[in-house]
Amino acid sequence: MNDQDYITFEGYISKTLSEEDIADFEMRIERDQDFKQAFKTYKELHSFLEYKFENEENSKSFKDNLDTISKSYFKTESTSKKVLRFAPWNYAVAASVIVLLGFFLFNNFSDPSYSNFSNHDQISLIERGVQAKDVEAAETAFNTKDYSKANLAFKGLLELDSTNTEYQFYRAISNIELDNFEEAEVLLGNLKDGDSGYKYKAIWYLALSKLKQKDYPACVGLLKTIPKEAEDYKSALKLLKKLD
Amino acid sequence: MAEKKIHEDQKYIEGLLQNNSFIIKAIYDKFVPKVLNYIKQNSGDADSAQDVVQETLVTIYNQAKEKNLQLTCPFDAYFFLLCKRKWLNELKKINAKEVTINEAVLSKHDSALELADETELFENKQLLFNQMFQNLGTACKDLLKATFKIKSMEEVAKSLGVTYAYARKKKSLCIGKLTKLVQASPKYNQLYY
Repeated sequence: MNDQDYITFEGYISKTLSEEDIADFEMRIERDQDFKQAFKTYKELHSFLEYKFENEENSKSFKDNLDTISKSYFKTESTSKKVLRFAPWNYAVAASVIVLLGFFLFNNFSDPSYSNFSNHDQISLIERGVQAKDVEAAETAFNTKDYSKANLAFKGLLELDSTNTEYQFYRAISNIELDNFEEAEVLLGNLKDGDSGYKYKAIWYLALSKLKQKDYPACVGLLKTIPKEAEDYKSALKLLKKLD
Repeated sequence: MAEKKIHEDQKYIEGLLQNNSFIIKAIYDKFVPKVLNYIKQNSGDADSAQDVVQETLVTIYNQAKEKNLQLTCPFDAYFFLLCKRKWLNELKKINAKEVTINEAVLSKHDSALELADETELFENKQLLFNQMFQNLGTACKDLLKATFKIKSMEEVAKSLGVTYAYARKKKSLCIGKLTKLVQASPKYNQLYY
C-alpha cells in the first residue's frame, strides 16, 4: 500500500470521503484482496489505538484494583495453608477434641437451629439498567447482614420491577432474618408455586422459616417435598435426620 | 454469526467493566480455586496461578471494553479454559516441549471453546499491536497518542505546532506504518488466516 491508500483508509473511517470516493473505495475492497486485508488491519489498529489511549486511566485503575484484590486473595490463600501445616500427632489431638465437642454439643443442644442451616452465600445482583445504584445498595445491605435495610431496598426495587424473582427471594430471606415470617412466607409461597429458578430454594427457605419458629411438623412436611434435583436436597436430608 | 443468548453470568463481565471490587472478589472466591488447583497439579505454584489469573482477567476486561464481549456460556467454563491454555503455553515456553491440550475431555461447552478462541485471538493481536507500536518512531508515537487522547484534530495540531492538514495526514501515515509493521510480522499470518 502507498501513502495515498492509508490516507483513503483514514478518510473512509472518519467519514470524510466524498460519495464518489466512497464508491471507488468500496469497489476496490471488493476486487483487491491485498487492499482489503490492509484495510482490515488498519481498521483494527485504529480501534486498538483508540481504545488504548482513551481508556488509559480506566484501565490503569482497573489493573491497580485487580492487583490489590489478587494479592489479598493469594495472601489469605497461603496463610490458610500455613495454619493447616502442623505435625501429624496434632491431627489426632484435634480430631479427638472435635469428637468430644461434637458429642457434647449433640447431647446438650440437639435441636437443630435456623442459623445452622441458613448459610446464604454472599449475593451479587448487579444488573445493567437505571436502578443499578439501588441494586447495589440492596446487595450491600444483604451481604453485610443489615436485613432491615435490605428489606426496604428490595421493597423499593420490587415496586419498579414486581416480577423479579431474585428480588422476591432475597426480600423473603431478609424477612425471615427479621422474624417477619408472614411476609416472608407469602413471598416464598408465590415463588414455590411459580416456575423460576427459585422454585425449590423457596421450599427450602419456607422450611427454614418454620424451623426458626420451632414449628417442626410443618418444617418436616415441607422438607419432604424438596425433590432430589434441588440444590438443597442434601441439606434437607440432613435437617430431616436431625428432626426425626 | 448467529445471535446467541447471553448467559446470565454476563454480570461478571459487567462487574469487571465497572471495576466493581465486590464482583472481582466474587470471581476470585468462586472461580479461582479451580484454576489454582489445576496449575498446582500441573507443575505450577500459587505465584504462577496468581499471574495467570490476573493476566486472564485483564484480557477479558480489555476485550469487554473494546469489543463488547458477550458471554454465551457460563463464566466458569470460559475463564477456566483461558487460564488453562495460558498456563499450558507458559509450560511450553519453560520446558520447550510439546504439551498437548486435551480440550475435548475438559470442556463440555462448545460455546466456551468458541469464545475462548476469540479471546485468545484478541489477546494475541493486542500483544502484537503493542509490540509493533513500540517499534514506531517517537514522532509517530507522540502524534498517535495525542490524536486519540485529545480527539479534536485541531487541538492536536495546535499542541504539536503543525497545521491541521498535516496532522491529519500524518495520523493516517503513522497508522499506515504500523499496519505495515504488523503485516510484516511473522505472527501476522497465524492471526489473520
